[in-house]
Amino acid sequence: MKLNTMAAVMSFVSEIEEESASFYEKCAAEYPDMKDALLSWSKENRKFEKNVKRTYFGVITDTLESNYAFEGLDTDDYAFETDVPGDISKVAERAHEIEAKIKTFYLRAAELSEGLMADIPRLFKKIAKKKEDRRIPE
Amino acid sequence: MAVKKLQNYINGEWVDSATSEFVEIINPARGEVLCECPMSTRGELDSAVQAAKEAYPDWRNTPPVARARYLHRLIEMMEDNFNELSVVQTREHGKTIDESRGETRRGIEMVEVASGIPTTMQGFNLEDIAHGIDEYAIYQPLGVFSCIAPFNFPFMVPLWFLPFAIACGNTFVVKPSPRAPMSQSKLFEMLDDVGLPPGVVNMVNGGAEIADGCMEHPDMQGVTFVGSTPVARHIYKKCGETGKRVIAQAGAKNFIVIMPDAEIDKAMVSLISSFFGNAGQRCLAGANLLVVGDDETYKNVVDKFVEAAAAITVGDGLDESVQMGPVQNAESKQRILKMMEKGLEEGAKLTLDGRKPKVVGDLPEDCFLSPSVFENVTPEMSLAREEIFGPVASVLRAGDLDEAIDIIHSVPYGNSSAIFTNNGKWARQFQHDVIAGNVGINVGIVAPMAFFPFGGMKDSFFGTLHGQGQDVVRFFTECKVVISRWF
Repeated sequence: MKLNTMAAVMSFVSEIEEESASFYEKCAAEYPDMKDALLSWSKENRKFEKNVKRTYFGVITDTLESNYAFEGLDTDDYAFETDVPGDISKVAERAHEIEAKIKTFYLRAAELSEGLMADIPRLFKKIAKKKEDRRIPE
Repeated sequence: MAVKKLQNYINGEWVDSATSEFVEIINPARGEVLCECPMSTRGELDSAVQAAKEAYPDWRNTPPVARARYLHRLIEMMEDNFNELSVVQTREHGKTIDESRGETRRGIEMVEVASGIPTTMQGFNLEDIAHGIDEYAIYQPLGVFSCIAPFNFPFMVPLWFLPFAIACGNTFVVKPSPRAPMSQSKLFEMLDDVGLPPGVVNMVNGGAEIADGCMEHPDMQGVTFVGSTPVARHIYKKCGETGKRVIAQAGAKNFIVIMPDAEIDKAMVSLISSFFGNAGQRCLAGANLLVVGDDETYKNVVDKFVEAAAAITVGDGLDESVQMGPVQNAESKQRILKMMEKGLEEGAKLTLDGRKPKVVGDLPEDCFLSPSVFENVTPEMSLAREEIFGPVASVLRAGDLDEAIDIIHSVPYGNSSAIFTNNGKWARQFQHDVIAGNVGINVGIVAPMAFFPFGGMKDSFFGTLHGQGQDVVRFFTECKVVISRWF
C-alpha cells in the first residue's frame, strides 16, 4: 500500500512498532533466556510510537504540505516476518532484520519530510539511529 | 434513528432552539446526514447577547491572569480531544484528516497565544509629562463581541477571535457556519466543561437572521467575520451605520509568481498544497500561477505542475490515502463548474480537466471534483479575477517581475501573494511593492501564525485592525489615557 500522506505514515509507524513490540513479547515468553533484552526492545518500540505521534500532533498545521510529500513510500518495502522462530538461535537474527527494516523506513520517511516539519525528520533519524545501535547479546 | 438536532449554548446552558426551521448537515464525502442545524430566531440571539451583557461586569473585573487560566484548561481539553475534534471537521467539511488535524493545531495555537493576555494587554506610561504629572495608557475591554464564522475553517476561525476577546475581559457570541456547525458544538462542550461563568461565551446557530442581529443589536460592541467579499462589504457598511467595531476578512484571488530561477522541484509540493489543499477552499489558496520567463521555463513549470496535480488522490478525507477531499457541498461544485464553463467560453485552455472526478472508493460524486488546471489565462478573464474557491488553478504568464506585479494589482483582491525565486533582489522588490496583506517568499500558503496579524488588503479586508496577534488584542480593547497629578 502506498503511503502518500502524513496521516498514513503515522498509522504505519503505529503498525510496525506495535507488531514488532508484540513479536518481541511473544519471543520473550517462548525464550526466557532472552527475556530482558526482548522486553526492553518491546517497551522502547512502543515508546517510539508514542513519541512520533506526540510530535506529529504537536507540529502539524493546515499549511504544511503533509498531504503531498510522501511520494514513493510503500508498505510492501518494509514488510517483515513476525512468526516466532522455532529455534532460539534464529531469534536475534529475526529481531535484527525487523529493526533494520523499520530503520530503513524511518530514514526514507525522514528524507521525504525534510522540508516540512523539522521535528518529524529529526525524530525519525534519532529512532533510526537507536535501532541501528541495537544488538541482542549472542 | 432520529437525526440529532444541534442546540444553542446560551448563558451557560444547552438549549433547544424554538425555531421550526432546520437545515441538514451532510457529510460531503458520503452524502449521509450528520445532524440538523437550527436556524435560530432573533429572540434567541437577543437572549445570548443579554446573557453576555450581564456576564460582562464580573468577567471584566476578573484578573487577566485568572481569565487566562480558563484558557489553559481549554487547551488541555483540546489536546485530550485532538483527534475527535479533527474527525468532526473532516466529516462536516470534507477536508482530509491531516488538514483537519492542522486546523485543530492552529486553533489550539490561538488559545495558547491568547492566554498570554497578562502581558499582551499591558498599557504604557510616562512619568513627568509636566512637572509632577504622569500620563499612562490602559487597555480596557468593551463588552459583547461576536463572530460570524465561515464553513471552510469551521473550527479554527472562531478561535481567531473568541479566546482573545474573552481573555481581554469581553464576553462573546459565536454564530457557527450553518453549513459546518458541528465542530463549534464540540468546542462549546469543552468551553462548558472549562467552567467559565455563565454568559461569558454563547453560541447561536443560524443563518442571515442571526448575522443581521449581530450587526444590529445595540448591545453588541463589535463583529468579526470571515467569508466572501460581498458579505464582508455589507457587514462593514452595516457596522459603520450601527457604530460597531468590525473585522471583516473577505475573499481572495491569490497569485503565486514563479521566477525563472525558482527551485521548481523543491517548490512543487508547496504549490500543489497551496492550490489544491482543502480542495482550494481557503482564502490563502493559490489561485493564479503566474510564470515569469521564456517558453522553456514556462513549459518546465507547467508540465511539472500539471503532472503533480493529476496525481492527487481524491476521496473521503477520513481515508488516509486521500490527498484531497470533496468541496463542501453540491451547490459549491455546481458553482465551480459554471465558473469553469465561463473560463472555457472566454478562451482559456483546460489542460487538466477535473470536472469528472476520479474518486477513491464507492462514493457519491455530488461534491467531488479532481484538480483542474487552465492555461492561456489572461488577466482580464474571469478565471484570473474572480474567486472560484475550489480546486482550479489558472496559469498566466508575464515577461518580467514588474509586469507580474502589475497583473497582480489588476485584480481587486489583496489577501496573499507569493514569489518563488532564489534572487534576493526580486524577493525584496516583490515584498516591498506587492499590495497584499500576506506575502510569501518561497512559501505557498502564507498563513500568519497566531502571534501575527492575519493581513488582507483591497477587497480582501474591511476594517482597520486584523484578526490574531496584537492587532486583535487592540481590537477587543479600548485605550484609555489617564493624566494624573497629586496635590
